[in-house]
Amino acid sequence: MTEFLTSQFGVSIILAGVVFGILQGAVAYCIYFERKIAAWIQDRCGPNRVGPAGLLQPLADGGKMILKEDVIPGHVDKNLFVLAPAIMFIVAFVGFAAIPWGGQLELGGKLVSIQVASPDIGLLYILGVASMGIYGVVLGGWSSNNKYSLFGAIRATAQMLSYEIPMGLCILVIVLTVGAIRLEDIVLPQTAYWSDVIPKWNVFLHPLAFIVLFVTMLAEANRTPFDLAEAEQELVGGFHTEYSALKFGMFFLAEYASMITSSALLAVLFLGGWHLPWIPWAQPEATGIAAVIVKMLVMGGKIAGSLFVMMWLRWTLPRFRFDQLMRLAWGGLIPFTLGLFVLTVGLLYFDKHQSPLWTLGGNAVVLVLTLAVAGLSRRDVTGRPASLPSLEGRSLTHGRLAGDVS
Amino acid sequence: MTPSTGYLLYLLFAMGGAGLYLLLPQPGKSRALPGVALSVLALAGLLSVLAVKVIAPSDTSAYFCLFSAIAIFGASRVITHRKPVYSALYFVLVVISVAALLVLQRAEFLAVALIIVYAGAIIVTYLFVIMLAQQSHETVYDTRAREPFFAVLVGFVLMAAITGKAVEPATTSEAKIVTAQFAQQNLAGAIEGLPEGNTADVAAALLTKYIVVLEIAGVLLLVSMVGAVALSRKKIPVEGHGLPTRPLGQIGKEVEPF
Repeated sequence: MTEFLTSQFGVSIILAGVVFGILQGAVAYCIYFERKIAAWIQDRCGPNRVGPAGLLQPLADGGKMILKEDVIPGHVDKNLFVLAPAIMFIVAFVGFAAIPWGGQLELGGKLVSIQVASPDIGLLYILGVASMGIYGVVLGGWSSNNKYSLFGAIRATAQMLSYEIPMGLCILVIVLTVGAIRLEDIVLPQTAYWSDVIPKWNVFLHPLAFIVLFVTMLAEANRTPFDLAEAEQELVGGFHTEYSALKFGMFFLAEYASMITSSALLAVLFLGGWHLPWIPWAQPEATGIAAVIVKMLVMGGKIAGSLFVMMWLRWTLPRFRFDQLMRLAWGGLIPFTLGLFVLTVGLLYFDKHQSPLWTLGGNAVVLVLTLAVAGLSRRDVTGRPASLPSLEGRSLTHGRLAGDVS
Repeated sequence: MTPSTGYLLYLLFAMGGAGLYLLLPQPGKSRALPGVALSVLALAGLLSVLAVKVIAPSDTSAYFCLFSAIAIFGASRVITHRKPVYSALYFVLVVISVAALLVLQRAEFLAVALIIVYAGAIIVTYLFVIMLAQQSHETVYDTRAREPFFAVLVGFVLMAAITGKAVEPATTSEAKIVTAQFAQQNLAGAIEGLPEGNTADVAAALLTKYIVVLEIAGVLLLVSMVGAVALSRKKIPVEGHGLPTRPLGQIGKEVEPF
């Protein structure tokens, strides 16, 4: 029995249970913190009735979700209506299997990795699972047999398909820089130092890719300013208008779970995963149980920081209009990330892809080039019809005008 | 493989074809029960023949049978279901179970690429179109198959021929697989400094042996992209081009062609 428990398979099974449990709790408390942060930003108190400082609020909410009547409206496609939240929930949690939570642990003289599964193609696995999440939204919206839900689903689909491209390009930049797809192999090179001081985190090599990846992850998770799928003023509740009780709760939990997955991926790709400089426990050499706990806390801290920024943005930025959203993806982010990608390939050819001087310089060049192209093309940013009369007298291509009007 | 196994396989394919023919949506009374019975019998028979006679038993045989059965079930539902949205979803099921089969063959990269490209992007676009086209009404053209008899005949004869050919000389095809694996290993090993692993193998094969094919595929995609952009551009007249002008606010409100 102990032999089984100390093998990689046993550790993986235990870890799967532990991580799933922790994440359930984390997701519930994400909702609490979202409300608290909203309250701080808007100068309110936020939830403070249940338990000290409202800390038991998620339990009360959960109880309410479970006990409420689960309405299935008569006009829906029942099978898909029930299937949609399940898909959303499963997909949101399956992605965690490939995240490296805490390096390696020494058990009975052997090293086991604190990771449920370590596939050769870890990064692609997470991308593949994340790309399936779209079905939950689409089926939820369609099966509701409701115009608003369908509009929400259509918006979400178009948005997720569009933002997957710059996201994939940003990830490719890192894959090219590190030369690995297994997530552990992406973390390990980041634990080294430049001149013994600055950790070799990828964010210092490609800060722009980091920012763009963060933006696309907001869009993939349907967070403000990209939450058009559930724009309350226009679409009631978007794709989950017809859902109630626990099914609505599953959509809600899945949104936060996918935010946590995105944050974990961001931490692994750019922020060194479980690595923290100068702390002996958070180094790859430390393999004791204390070290693993410290590493998991470091990872959790990085995820929490990213989540906080996401929530902060939600209460700071207004929502995009749909054409602005599409323009940002296709006209802005995709050419820009393509530029970064070409830059990285070029640096790789000259073997300069690991040198911060070259990558940062290249980043600056790409940024300046993009801004120059954007400035010279004098393209209207908002695309509002009101700004169109100013275009008169200029020779316009058909395509641009068509894009502005639609 | 003995000739009797071959005839058994052909018999099973004939059974499966008949079952699927009965299952295809057609006007008139439902013939689902005999169809399901025939198809399930044929599928079970096929898998047991494959498991006993053709494939060398291994740890993953059970998984192979399970995922193949799911894939075949999903594929038959794609063409027999009366609602297009469900058909598209069963297509997703087929893609996922085929990806599982690829994982069993240790081709993880192909498996995930299949899911990302097909399940994650292409079928979503199908679903998008289907969703926009209809919403929970059954239409006439969805409830009857077009030329079901000939479709089933051609499909199953082709499949039986391929299967019969593929499993016929078991020893030589095994030898070929082993040679192919060796060739691939050499390909990856020949390039210095390449990391080990599935992705590296695929990359080595694509960028050395199959580079021309890869380039042609890339050019083809570029051509189709240019074509799509050219087709989707709407021509809107602009002042000074000799075309009738309209106030900008009214674009899209007029029905007359221009």
